[in-house]
Amino acid sequence: MKKVFASASLIALFSGGAAFAQECTDPVPITWSTIAGFYTDAMASFVKSFEEKNCAKVTVVNIDNSQLYNKQVIEMVGQTGAYDVVTLETAEKAEFAENGFILPMTDFFKDKQDLLNDVSPTLRAMTVEYKGNVWGLPYYTYSAGMFIRQDLFDDPTEQAAFKAKYGYDLAPPTTWEQHRDQAEFFTRKKGDLLKGQPLEKDFYGVGLMAGPFPEIQDEMSAMIWGMGSDWLNADGKVPVDDVEKAMNEYLALMPFAPPAALTVTYDGVMNQMKDCQIAMTAGFFLDQWPNAVKTEESCPGAKMAAIEAPLKKAYVGGFLLAVSSSSANPDMAMKFVAHIGGPEIQKQFAELGGASTLTSVLTDPEFATPEKRATNGQYATLNQVFDSMAGFSSNLFKTPFGAKIYNTMQIPLQSAASGQITARQAAEQLAADVEKICGGPCPIAN
Amino acid sequence: MLRRKSSWPVEVLRYGTILLVILFFFFPIFWMVLTSFKPESAIMVSPPQFFFTPTLDNYAHALVDKNFLFYVKNTLIISVISTLIVVAFGSLAAYSFARFNVGDGHILFFILSTKMMPAIAVILPYFLIFRDLGKTAIGKSLHLGLDQHGALIVSYVMFNLPFAIWLLVSFFQDIPRELEHSARLDGLSRLQVLRKVTFPLAAPGIAVTAVFTLIFCWNEFLFAYILTRKAASTVTVGVESFFTLQGILWGPVAAAATIAVAPMLVFVLVMQRYMVRGLTFGAVRG
Amino acid sequence: MTTTWESPGSDVVPKPGRAGMSDRMFSILLIAPAMLVTLVFAILPLVQALDVSFRMGDLSRGKLGDYVGLENYRVVFADPAFWSAGLTTLKFTIVAVGLQMILGVGIAFLLHSATFGKGLTRSLLILPLATSAAVTGLFWRYLYDTQFGVINWVLGSFGLPEPNWLGDYTIALWSVVLFDIWQWTPFVALIALAGLQALPKEPFEAAELDGASRWRVLTTLTFPLLKPVLFLVLVLRTIDCVRLYDAVAVLTRGGPGTATETMTFYLYRTGLKLFRMDYASTMAVFFLYVMLVAAVFALTPLLKQFTDRAKES
Repeated sequence: MKKVFASASLIALFSGGAAFAQECTDPVPITWSTIAGFYTDAMASFVKSFEEKNCAKVTVVNIDNSQLYNKQVIEMVGQTGAYDVVTLETAEKAEFAENGFILPMTDFFKDKQDLLNDVSPTLRAMTVEYKGNVWGLPYYTYSAGMFIRQDLFDDPTEQAAFKAKYGYDLAPPTTWEQHRDQAEFFTRKKGDLLKGQPLEKDFYGVGLMAGPFPEIQDEMSAMIWGMGSDWLNADGKVPVDDVEKAMNEYLALMPFAPPAALTVTYDGVMNQMKDCQIAMTAGFFLDQWPNAVKTEESCPGAKMAAIEAPLKKAYVGGFLLAVSSSSANPDMAMKFVAHIGGPEIQKQFAELGGASTLTSVLTDPEFATPEKRATNGQYATLNQVFDSMAGFSSNLFKTPFGAKIYNTMQIPLQSAASGQITARQAAEQLAADVEKICGGPCPIAN
Repeated sequence: MLRRKSSWPVEVLRYGTILLVILFFFFPIFWMVLTSFKPESAIMVSPPQFFFTPTLDNYAHALVDKNFLFYVKNTLIISVISTLIVVAFGSLAAYSFARFNVGDGHILFFILSTKMMPAIAVILPYFLIFRDLGKTAIGKSLHLGLDQHGALIVSYVMFNLPFAIWLLVSFFQDIPRELEHSARLDGLSRLQVLRKVTFPLAAPGIAVTAVFTLIFCWNEFLFAYILTRKAASTVTVGVESFFTLQGILWGPVAAAATIAVAPMLVFVLVMQRYMVRGLTFGAVRG
Repeated sequence: MTTTWESPGSDVVPKPGRAGMSDRMFSILLIAPAMLVTLVFAILPLVQALDVSFRMGDLSRGKLGDYVGLENYRVVFADPAFWSAGLTTLKFTIVAVGLQMILGVGIAFLLHSATFGKGLTRSLLILPLATSAAVTGLFWRYLYDTQFGVINWVLGSFGLPEPNWLGDYTIALWSVVLFDIWQWTPFVALIALAGLQALPKEPFEAAELDGASRWRVLTTLTFPLLKPVLFLVLVLRTIDCVRLYDAVAVLTRGGPGTATETMTFYLYRTGLKLFRMDYASTMAVFFLYVMLVAAVFALTPLLKQFTDRAKES
């Protein structure tokens, strides 16, 4: 089976253990199902060093992110053992653990506490632990902040106009009210002036991801968590009033987003940013920084910045690697998880522009230099996000129904965003859907 | 109907409409092919770019980095074998229905009614069936397990047989029985009659059936997506490997999509004479 | 039923030593391979679906559970999302099939009457048919895009309104319909064109001699002669539209909200996202039941045509 390598040079670089390779006559086969794309292509090249060190044969299966969940569940339910190492969303961990799809790794990590402790604590709470056990290791974080066009916020003309209209200074938003004002302020028509120049096309205050993908809930998580609430309360029920409030906050932004907001996900927003169509995002995945910063090349005069979301709350989480309970080679699979999530590979991963999960990498001064801005410029903000959200956890990640709720909740939210139903109806429908999924109040683990 | 000479406004209207029809049906494919030659900087931009410096980078990415031809090879193997089986089984069955009215319509109804089944409803049972089949000796020898070509071939045969039989029955009915009679009187066995008389006469119909079956197999997505992982994945699934964490790579997707549909496009262009001739299902008899 | 019905061919089998096989035996042998495949791979999943529809079956929580009688049917029939998906499917099918038939037949007439450019048009027309919805649907999403799409750019340059094709819940379904029209109208057009070209010449010449009007020729000759083939296309297109999945999956994923959620997509979401195989199987059984009832009406005339012809000669 053919493996996908990002580049031949990388393989040459990291395949130092040639001596081991010769002794390895009967490599242990393991298969890793993961998300397609450059970052995973890079990962695939790191697989090589693992193979040589451990006498293994690793097959990487790339799957479209939106299909990953059901594809993996099918194989788990069928107990095919086809995937030894699976890639999970934060919200899916509890389900996979509770249903016996994945193996606990508590014992495996007993003598590797240093590695566990290196995972950013905020992230660890969300992605590693469930009911007192260790279930895997995150290797990639999509934790959210916000991207803004710093050049617009720095422009004296815009600053003056903003102050005149809203009565306070134009600065990166710290509340959702400010964010809304700024979204409104920057929304202009073709021909209007922006930074004193006439616009060649319509310009919008904010890029939103209200399309038919599970991303609107990530944006709204920032709002509902920001108000001190959660998608599920301690009784395992949806707090309808709070969801309605968050929904209304979100709806207040819709008029200032491009019409495509109703059809796109994050890549659409990034395309809008790069094409000089939007001034900022709402809560947005910071791992997209290398993508966002390209705006500075494609959009004359643009300067990008990654900041924390208003109220310092945003969707935090990552993709974690876990070991399938139907794996034929669980020991090797666990070693592989530790290898990919470990400091050596994480650092190499970071060098290629990946959003690492380890504190040692995120705070490595090597990545704070101006030269690394294009690939790692968001790390400082990412560290702030983890600090601000230290000790935070959501009940969404503590119920074994989290994945199903997560995969369904965008439906009422999108209905409201498109104007088909009201915020109240969306909140009520969400509550009803969640109750149906859980068969009553959702069980919440502590 | 061609008898009356039309006045020139009617002619202008007629060819104007034809032009619009061509534009509507051809443009999306043209745009896909055009996108495949665009550099990244010319794709997701507004206004849309019609003029740009063409590049082959997208094809290089799809063919070299992602080895997209691997999916093409799988698709070719699976579709061609499926089509051969469908045509073989379908022709025999259709001949039986057409000549002997076996089952007096009831069996034919049963077979046709399986076309009603939505694939999505049976996909998980299929997954489990092939998982278990793959562990048996016969399943192993015929590659019927998950992520093996045989599983998809069997699925495609199953899902294309009804339509194929449907098409073929009418073709066989159009062949005069007298020809078969005289051939038998000449001492040919039943099978020889089939091989030497009936099938050659039904060749255009069989060709149409093969074309459609091949198209349907080539373009199938759902079974390919659920029943394969990597080793037996087809082009429709392969295109999805360009949906990455950084978003859809539109240039390479366009290149892969162009490679994925090109064989069928060329194929239908070559076969279109047959297709149109055979498409009356024997329902209009002049 | 004529149990001993035999083709005329049977009594002209004078060959000694070969009399062993009757027509009946031979005919059964011929359908055996196709029947075997169909029986195993249609009946097996169906039996399984029926079985699961009477049991508790949350697949993501492991094995199938106890038998619960008609409980799943009660839940499914009481589910408003199920009926709303059914309604969406109905709306989609009626409009898509209707327009495909009208446009397809219209294009067939247009091409039939054209004197040049026919071959080229036919070649270009046939292309959408040869592409996969899963692949070209993606490019329709691109064409429809409000920020980067060609369609709205063209509309905008003419000062026309720029609809949010896939984002506006009032029109998203019709945008999916438009895509389906793009892909399948050629199918209807080609078959109708083939039908037109196969029409017998004599009655039309006679009608012309009688000085019949175009309209009269159309309604009394052309359409009645084309009716059987058009009916067949209608049935085929209806079956495909009711089962529509790929186009929705690639263009809208049922969204915004559930505005374009068809029956099969809801089935997908229930079975492969929520892994409630019990509800999904129940829906599948119900779906198949409705289709079969419809099929009895739709297929009977076609089958009669088949069996009549099989008997006649």
